[in-house]
Amino acid sequence: MRVIVADDSVLFREGLARVLEGAGFEVVGQASNADELDRVVSQVKASLVILDIRMPPTQTDEGLVAAKRIRREHPEMGVLLLSQYVESHHALDLLGQSPDHVGYLLKDRFGDLGEFVDAVRRVGNGGSAVDPMVVSQLLGRKRSRNLVEDLTDRERSVLALMAEGRSNDAIASALKISPKTLEAHIGTIYSKLGLEPAGSDHRRVLAVLNYLRSS
Amino acid sequence: MGLLMMGVGVGLLIGSSPLDRTLADVIPAPIVFIAVVIAGSVWPVMLLHLLLAFPGGVLVSRLDRVVVRVSYVVFPLVTVIAVALFVAHPLLGMTSTVPQVVAVAAGVIEVAFLLIGSGLVVRRWLMGGRARRRSMSPLLLAMVPLVVFLLFYFGGIVRYQIWHIPAGQSWEVLISIAPLALGSGLDMSSVGDLVVKLSGGLAPEQLQPALALALHDPSLEVAYWLPAQGWFSDLEGSRMELPTPDSERAASMLGDPEGPVAALVYDSSLVHEGQLVDTAAAAVRMALENARLQVQLRAQLEEVRESRARLVEAADSERQRVERNLHDGAQQQLVTLLLSMQATKTEAIRRSDRATAALIDANIAELKQALGELRELAHGIHPTILTQAGLVPAIRSLTERCPIPVDVRGDLGEDRLAPPLEATLYFVVSEAITNAVKHSKARQMCVSLGRSSDVAAVDISDDGGGGADLSGGSGLRGLSDRVAAVGGRLVIKSDKKSGTIIHAEVPCA
Repeated sequence: MRVIVADDSVLFREGLARVLEGAGFEVVGQASNADELDRVVSQVKASLVILDIRMPPTQTDEGLVAAKRIRREHPEMGVLLLSQYVESHHALDLLGQSPDHVGYLLKDRFGDLGEFVDAVRRVGNGGSAVDPMVVSQLLGRKRSRNLVEDLTDRERSVLALMAEGRSNDAIASALKISPKTLEAHIGTIYSKLGLEPAGSDHRRVLAVLNYLRSS
Repeated sequence: MGLLMMGVGVGLLIGSSPLDRTLADVIPAPIVFIAVVIAGSVWPVMLLHLLLAFPGGVLVSRLDRVVVRVSYVVFPLVTVIAVALFVAHPLLGMTSTVPQVVAVAAGVIEVAFLLIGSGLVVRRWLMGGRARRRSMSPLLLAMVPLVVFLLFYFGGIVRYQIWHIPAGQSWEVLISIAPLALGSGLDMSSVGDLVVKLSGGLAPEQLQPALALALHDPSLEVAYWLPAQGWFSDLEGSRMELPTPDSERAASMLGDPEGPVAALVYDSSLVHEGQLVDTAAAAVRMALENARLQVQLRAQLEEVRESRARLVEAADSERQRVERNLHDGAQQQLVTLLLSMQATKTEAIRRSDRATAALIDANIAELKQALGELRELAHGIHPTILTQAGLVPAIRSLTERCPIPVDVRGDLGEDRLAPPLEATLYFVVSEAITNAVKHSKARQMCVSLGRSSDVAAVDISDDGGGGADLSGGSGLRGLSDRVAAVGGRLVIKSDKKSGTIIHAEVPCA
């Protein structure tokens, strides 16, 4: 899988490129700011771009803006946004525009290489990846009328993994349950929360996150 | 002014026949004749100059200056040409062979200039304040017969082919009435009224209107001297510049020149009423000194307010700087270290060195914990979402982390607030939530946002046991200071029954 890496720190880019190449990815381009990234993206074919949310010149949300632009202009290219701090606001901002080919992760996720590589693959293959911290914050959010509390622990785990953007196969194997049992859990979750069953996996991510954030 | 008046007098004397002829006969030289003719022709221009510059002595408007200057050139020129062609004085060695039309044209040019001049005088009267109108009115009155005269003159030319009335002489009508203007001094009785008002006590803001009334100049302003700042100020504490000498305004200083108390700024037509201005100024001097102290206080307060706002902004940008340093420095380095440890681990696994890989795993776990703590620290110093997405998403982010359910209602409109205001309201909400969680035993909170054209407000309410106040050691005191520093206010209502409501509003016009 061909990957482009964008971050203003060359040490970070090199480190990330090394880890990605060690995991079997091909790093085909690097950029240190949004303008450079635009040039690389228009010249090089890649499955996805991994980029930092904060980039020069203002170090605020240049990465987020660039990610949304890339999704608009290159729908076949995925974007995985990295940040030192994750916010549900940004997650929905990014997913709301196009929930497929999109990921939003804490930079700390390199700590678990398997999870990180899995997220990169998912986004590169057209899926979504939402940082577990965003999901756990939304799940743990206190509500005055809390339907999430009516879920069993198992159902809550299923909901969390759905919100992270995992496919049914991945959820079933992560929780070591059969696909059939999983289907049943998902059905219960939807009826308990009053959610309409969503079509694809990434539509499901958006529906679940929106529910968790607004309810 | 004096010179101009003398010039008009002498010109009038010389210009009136038969003196010019007599003078030329006494000293029979062409040069003297021409000099006499020029002197005799130029006085109407001097009179126009006098009227337009009255009473300050300076031509203020550019248009006035242009017309007067051109007239100074045109009048002698036209007169010389007309006289040379029409009168054909033998001294010049010429005979009258010139068509009348040239002489008529000369007359028409003169009359046209005089009409323009009259128009300018009327314009000045219209544009002037009450004081100037008062001093100019007699002149204006005197100009009525002049204009009538000029109209007759034209009528005469058109209707009866009467050519020989010299236009310049029409101004003589004016001269006879003009002295009235000089006697139109303002009366002292209005200053008497002022003194009576003062004895009844005048508030500082009533001083300026009272002086304006006494001096019949509604445009009068009082400029208070602020020694600490070294400039003049109005009653509100805003800086004022004194008029330059050649403007339509004039100023009188009160107090000794080393340390003035105030200055009166008025229409320059009051300049010749020096005594009246001085008397009025002396009457209000004590009251002005009092008012000045008040202005000084206001100016100082304004300065303190500004410096407090600057301190808050400086603290905010310092927080932002520290957060950025952490983000670009320590956090980024630790993340890079994490990457390099992953690479090392991959290498260890490749060499089948399980023991080293396990050691690295343990280090990675510790590193992740350090990163987590550092992240919370940086976020507490300055939440990046506040700069990235604005106040409402930042408040929502706060409430998502809150262990008590929080409803967020309302919004703050499309446009974002200025960064110091966003930060102020953010810290209010953050501190209010922290307080409620720590002390109130509340089960439910609500954050309401609202914005009108000039105020943005947040209300944070809970259903807890109250007990929040500004005097305690809580962070509320500091919050109140912070809100005041950006010109807003913080109100706390807290009791056992209905819980706590913290209301903060900031001006955002």
